Amino acid sequence: MDITTGIVLAAGEGTRLRPLTFNRPKTMLPAAGRPILEHVLDVLVDCGIERLCLVVGYQRERVQEHFGPSYRDVPITYVHQTKQLGSGHALQQAAPETDGPVLVLNGDRVIDERIVADVLEGFDGTPAMAVLDHPTPTRYGAVEVDDGTLSTLVEKPDSDAFGRINAGVYAFDESVFDAIERTPRRNGELHLPDVIGTLMDDGEVRAVSTDGLWVDATYPWDLLYLTRELLANGRVQFPERSDNVWVADSARVHPEATLQGPVVVGPDAEIAASAVVGPDVAVGRNATVGGNVTLQNTLLDSDCRVGPGSTLVDCVAGQSVSIGPGTVVPGGPSDVRVGDRVFENQGLGAVLADRASVGGGATFMPGTLVGADATVGTGAHVSGWIRNGAEVVR
Amino acid sequence: MCGIIGCVGRGDETLDTLLHGLSKLEYRGYDSAGVALVDDRSVSVVKKSGELDALREELSTSDIGGRVGIGHTRWSTHGPPTDGNAHPHRDCTGDVAVVHNGIIENYQSLRDELAESGHEFRSDTDTEVVPHLVEASLESGADPEAAFRAAIGRLEGSYAIACVIAGTDSVFVARNDSPLVLGIAEDATYLASDVPAFREFTDKVVYLEDGEYARLDTDGWRVSDVDGGTIEKSIETVTWDPEDTGKSGYDHFMLKEIHEQPRALRQCLQGRVDELRGTVTLEELGELSLERVHLVAAGTSYHAAIYGAQLLQAKGVPAQPFLSHEYATSPPPAEDAIVVGVSQSGETADTLAATREARRRGAETLALTNTVGSTMARECDHVCYIRSGPEIGVAATKTFAGQQTALNLLTEAATEGGADRDVIAALRNVPGQVQEVLDSSKAEAVAEAYLDSDAYFFIGRSLNFPVALEGALKMKEISYEHAEGFAAGELKHGPLALVTSETPVFATVVGDGELARKTVGNVKEVEARDAPVVAITDGQSDVARYADHVLEIPETHPRTAAILTNVQLQLVAYHTAAKLGRSIDKPRNLAKSVTVE
Repeated sequence: MDITTGIVLAAGEGTRLRPLTFNRPKTMLPAAGRPILEHVLDVLVDCGIERLCLVVGYQRERVQEHFGPSYRDVPITYVHQTKQLGSGHALQQAAPETDGPVLVLNGDRVIDERIVADVLEGFDGTPAMAVLDHPTPTRYGAVEVDDGTLSTLVEKPDSDAFGRINAGVYAFDESVFDAIERTPRRNGELHLPDVIGTLMDDGEVRAVSTDGLWVDATYPWDLLYLTRELLANGRVQFPERSDNVWVADSARVHPEATLQGPVVVGPDAEIAASAVVGPDVAVGRNATVGGNVTLQNTLLDSDCRVGPGSTLVDCVAGQSVSIGPGTVVPGGPSDVRVGDRVFENQGLGAVLADRASVGGGATFMPGTLVGADATVGTGAHVSGWIRNGAEVVR
Repeated sequence: MCGIIGCVGRGDETLDTLLHGLSKLEYRGYDSAGVALVDDRSVSVVKKSGELDALREELSTSDIGGRVGIGHTRWSTHGPPTDGNAHPHRDCTGDVAVVHNGIIENYQSLRDELAESGHEFRSDTDTEVVPHLVEASLESGADPEAAFRAAIGRLEGSYAIACVIAGTDSVFVARNDSPLVLGIAEDATYLASDVPAFREFTDKVVYLEDGEYARLDTDGWRVSDVDGGTIEKSIETVTWDPEDTGKSGYDHFMLKEIHEQPRALRQCLQGRVDELRGTVTLEELGELSLERVHLVAAGTSYHAAIYGAQLLQAKGVPAQPFLSHEYATSPPPAEDAIVVGVSQSGETADTLAATREARRRGAETLALTNTVGSTMARECDHVCYIRSGPEIGVAATKTFAGQQTALNLLTEAATEGGADRDVIAALRNVPGQVQEVLDSSKAEAVAEAYLDSDAYFFIGRSLNFPVALEGALKMKEISYEHAEGFAAGELKHGPLALVTSETPVFATVVGDGELARKTVGNVKEVEARDAPVVAITDGQSDVARYADHVLEIPETHPRTAAILTNVQLQLVAYHTAAKLGRSIDKPRNLAKSVTVE
């Protein structure tokens, strides 16, 4: 049974990635120099999907503007989920745009072509879902499979008894929309795993065992891991200048700057003399890296500016972040506080959300989170969690 | 200001091809539309006043067909938008049908002459003389092509004309001063006022020049000169994506285009600014150096021209903006000025008239345009592209920002003394800053708050003076509300008499220097007259204390601040028009590209 339509769920904010999601949904956060969602759409197009349907909601203009009416010549229809009431509800919104069987997947995870190809191949009209081995099933939907059939699906299980998870890639025929109608909401929300539960009650859900790259960014520091994985797999769209060094044609790198792979430098970016960039660095579109800057395991999103002589290690900087000269982010490991939770021993120097501005000579304790539009004064010593728009004087 | 389309070789899909083309040309005008199809022996015409859907409706109850056809979407110049005045127009026998874009200046004398010899006219249009002229030639024994050429030979004025004649599987076309381009596919040939009309079917195009004729047949196409001699034309390939014209989830093209501005400005800047070396280069201009400049433009482009002249003047280059229609008819002393035509489409008839007038007296000309291959780009000595991508909304948005940006590049690249490093850094920051304005704008709430106002006034000084004019123009164009822009200093010299508690004043105040202080003084003047004040500001001055609403922009160089303040005003106009339920992408009485003088 041939599936030609891909429905991509891209409406949620991704609240655990705050403050980076202040201006855009998780799907539009950067992964090796381009949005996560672009990697997802690449996989669908490479697998022969001929029609894309994006369910958008939170800050949807960002998605619509980026992709426009088509991606790599595959036409895109946008469906607006005005209230984000769960992934099942999101899929339900796409029903009027659908005709025939569909592939459904989350737009916020970078996955391998193989996962999608296996599901497409394993689909014969019976609902199908990709499952794969994963070391930490407690964060995801854990599954048990009995002879190719899904027997158990538990969201975020307490026990470590499970070894496999729901990869979030599904194939359905139109009857899924009827199953959605019949699935009870929980606290007003309707989630796809519950819809899978309804389908299991109805009959069979095929579990397609697969493997390959599957990377999820749950927290801001995961974006560093995501980029490292993509660079390690060579999933970069720009020309490879030398081993593991990818530089967009329109970028300008001073001949006396050093790029230590894996490194990706996006379009229109500028890197000045004596900068040492890499390993594991993504410099975003139109970012500016001053002279003598050192960047390691760091992600600079588009339009960032890093002043001369700064050192950034294990650092995530959102769009248009401005960092004054001589700023130091020495890097992790550290315990990171998010709200009332503490994540121990994370390899994080600092996260600076969109348009945060740092005066020169500032120092960041490992694990610092700086909110969007926040200002850090010259020479300030910063630690902990700085709210959006706040000002740190010293 | 109309759009024409034609095709040969599409078989049973001829009518659908024409309607598709017309839908892509609606931006050129939309008060009536029509098609003519030729089948074995006769010509059938269906036409209808109103938008294209009215024509579709009319066609749904008819069963016309044919393998060759022409179509037209009209914006009235002669005669009201009625069914009768819609194109195509026919002769007395009904065997000749013609569509036309432009103005036939000697139509009255031709009409009198034809009427005298017994021809009956059914419309008020200038166009209708053409089919009757063709008919007259056919009657005197000319073959179809000769008859068409004879008719065109009688015309004075501007035209892009396409003609079909019963019994001939051909379309005859001619061009003079109105845009016309052929689309070349393997088994079909197209003609249109603009490429999007047939871009879905082919990316191979041939641009016709003034004075050229073409004949499209089932077995090919031929371009010829006035004497009938074949002209070898080069076939060019257009690179842009037809899908660019979709709305991609936005309610209106205008909103989509407002949101596309960061991307449009990145494209404009790409490869042209180098912050490391402190240089700005416009490869297409070579070593051109501007020493004295006249900028000619109309509408939104004129506001960009004012801004451009201010930039050049600050660099010590004598530069003046002119309304192109005034310039063409009352040209000022030019001395050795380079004349820069600013036109999004590169087809604006008034601005073409001005650059032609400049060329006539020997001046060097430069086209600043968004449209590769446009008439202005081909006629001028130099061309600088703003690279904004296709703009469909009639109200210009991203192309104004693109013009502002390109004028900055032009100023830095082509004046003495080299580029200013602060400006280069500011230009590289501007796409991200436009995104910031889009992400955080409170313009919708402001639009809501002042929805029922008597009038809207916009004031600004220096680089924000053209922004005030543009803010008011946007508001007029799409909301149909009364709006005026003034230089802030001019307010108390007259316009202040109009200010009441029912006329919000939008004041752009940037920085904290003398200009800002003076504009804040003007704000206090209107505040004292109880007018609500909306300040568009970077927050450096104390204007917020006197304002009822504040629309923020990030702090930056004054030059790029004028790009950001304008984005806020675009959003105010958009949301006002949206709340009033206006036809935002196609406002009444207006067309995207004004191809008549």
